[in-house]
Parts: sequence; C-alpha cells; structure tokens
Amino acid sequence: MSRNRVIQWSTMARTWWLFDSKYQCPFRSAEKICMYLEGRHKPLYHPLSDVGDHVVVINTKHVAMAEELWRKHSFDYDTRFAGGKSRTTAWQLHDVDPTKVMHKAVYRAGPKNLLRPTLMRRLHLYPDERVPSEVLENVTDVIRQIMVVPRSLDSYTEEELKNFPILFDWPEDHILYKRPPPGEPAEELTGNTKQQAAKKK
Amino acid sequence: MGSSTIPSTFLKNIAQNGIGRHVCQLQRLTLSLCKSHPSSAAARKFVEDDLLDFTKGNPGIVFYVKPRRHRAPVLTAEFLNGYKEMIDLTRCTKEEIAQWIGLMRGRSGVQIMRIRKDWHTDTPSIQGMWNPFMFKDTKLNVTDKMDKSLSEYISKYKSASQKLIEMKKLQKQQKELEQPLKESTRVIQEKKKAASH
Repeated sequence: MSRNRVIQWSTMARTWWLFDSKYQCPFRSAEKICMYLEGRHKPLYHPLSDVGDHVVVINTKHVAMAEELWRKHSFDYDTRFAGGKSRTTAWQLHDVDPTKVMHKAVYRAGPKNLLRPTLMRRLHLYPDERVPSEVLENVTDVIRQIMVVPRSLDSYTEEELKNFPILFDWPEDHILYKRPPPGEPAEELTGNTKQQAAKKK
Repeated sequence: MGSSTIPSTFLKNIAQNGIGRHVCQLQRLTLSLCKSHPSSAAARKFVEDDLLDFTKGNPGIVFYVKPRRHRAPVLTAEFLNGYKEMIDLTRCTKEEIAQWIGLMRGRSGVQIMRIRKDWHTDTPSIQGMWNPFMFKDTKLNVTDKMDKSLSEYISKYKSASQKLIEMKKLQKQQKELEQPLKESTRVIQEKKKAASH
C-alpha cells in the first residue's frame, strides 16, 4: 500500500505535450490544445481541480487560414475612450509577432473565468521548430495534428514525379508554362512568340 | 428549504436487518394529545378505535399516550439506535395517523438524508490508479518527439492522387501477370504447329 502514495504523484503530475501547428487552422487547433491545457483529456478531470498539462506549440509561423481570413479576420480592441477603437487584421498581427495569432486563438477557446491566465502560462509558443532544450526535454507525448499538411510540388522527388500516373496527353501545339530558374524573369508567352517558336521549328 | 440545508450523507449499506430474522427497530411511540381541543379530534378517535388493535398486533413496541392540555397532537417515535423523530399530527385524519405509525414501524431508524452520490464501492479501483503513462505506446520512449509520424494527421479517406497512384500500381501488376501467360500460349501454339507438320 505504501506504493500507492507514490503512484498518486504521477497521477497528478503535469505532463508536457508537443503540437506542430504547421498548416493547421489556429482556431480549430486552439480547441484541441485547450482540452489538454484544462486537463479535459484525463479521466480524473473535474472543473474544480487543477489538473491541466503544458503544451508546447511549434511552427506557429506556419499556421494556415482558409480563404480570405488572413485579410478579413480582425482582432478588435476598444479602450472605451473616444477614438479608442483599434482593429488589427490577422496578417498584420502575424507580421508583428508570429506567435500572437495562436496565442489569441487559444485564449479565446479557453474557459471564460479566472483560471484562464494560469492556463495560458502553461502554453509555450515557438514560431519555428527551434525550441529550447530545457523545454523540449520535458515533452513526453505529441498531440496529433487536426488537418492534412499539403505537399508542395517541390517536395516530390524526381522519381515520384516520373512515376505519377498521366491521365491525358497535352495537344501538340499546347505550350506548357515553364517555371524560370530563380533570379531570371519569366518569359512572356504572347501570340507573337508562339508564332516565332512555330517558325523556328 | 434548499437542498444544501438538508443534511447530506454518502450511500452506505445498512440493509442487513431481516437477513436472519427481522427485528423491529421502532422502540417506543408517544402520542401526546389534548382531551378537549378540536385539533386533537383525530388523535382521540385513533386512540378510541385503533390503538388497542395496534398494541395487540405489535407487542414489541411500547405505546404511550400523554394528555397535554391545549397542545397540538404530536407523535414521537424512538428507535433502537437512539434516533428520535417527531411528527405533527394537526389536520391529520385518523387514517393518516395510522399511516404515519405504520411508516415508523417499518423504518430502520436511520435519519433520511440527501445522498450525495447514488453509488458506493468498497474497492474503488481494481486495475490501479490512473496515471498519465497508462496505456501509452512504449514506442514513445525511443522516438524523437519532433518526428512527423507522431504528429501527422491520420485521414479516414484517401486523397484523389493517392487513389490514382494505387490504380496505376494495380495496372502495372496486372500487366506483369498477363505477359508470361501470353508467352506460354505462344509456346503451345508453336508446338501444335510443329506437331501438325
């Protein structure tokens, strides 16, 4: 029975989680992160007991927003004095501090009571993958992402591109746009150049 | 009266009475009533009509009748465990008094309280107390936490390009299967030709 006393320490211990926010919606991932900050993922959760965990969020610089949200989503504040209203769009805020959008999203998803500031203290935000080792050594588990990270064309290898199924053939006179090597301006593809290319042939 | 003012307790098992033989937990009943006041009319009627029948049927219960001048009729029940309960019998009919007495006779003598939890167990956990590492994959101990395989989203559905790549793979496999077949048929035809010549 003396072991039970020690088991209880690990039961109530705060664990550290890692979340990769690359190409993730900040608002939807904030809901998931908040679950861990409040301790709602634990079977012993109770709103009156303080059982929340730490969450380390990396790649906040690369959070993704749907459609026009970077331009249209705004963070508003009003000092209640004349002219005290302020409106900052998401892209502006992201420009100033790449962790701020995630911070505000989690703050909004958190419980609307006096526990919220202490919960936010347990959220550790990093704009990229560089995390101090004294923080990273505490991490024991990883929170799964909520969305598929899209693959860019550059990330495919030469072999993968070669073996990719071809659904149809281009017509012979179709001119494919070729991406210029970095540093050189793109070649203008007007009607004249097309004719010139045909003549040369 | 709010629920918080009612005394509360946790559920416990006290229903052992009657497993061997039943022992009536009601020890003593005291009915105090006025001889003249109209509020005690029903109590007087009960004493006149039903009291003797009750005492004959329940020899284990002591029944006192206390005349109290110009007081409201009150029934006091005392139990074996020392619990005592008083019931005001004003505006009660004779039948209702009999019902109250019947209720007291059947009770265990434990005070009726609000139960905070409607379940109770002597063994709170057989599998052991939960801890953050319970049912965790041991792979976590040896993998780098920055590894993509841990954080990657697992989709229920395949993407369109993934389906295409799989279809192409299938086609390729089928072609490879068909080729040796064709060759074998050619060999058989040649043999047939040779035989006919």
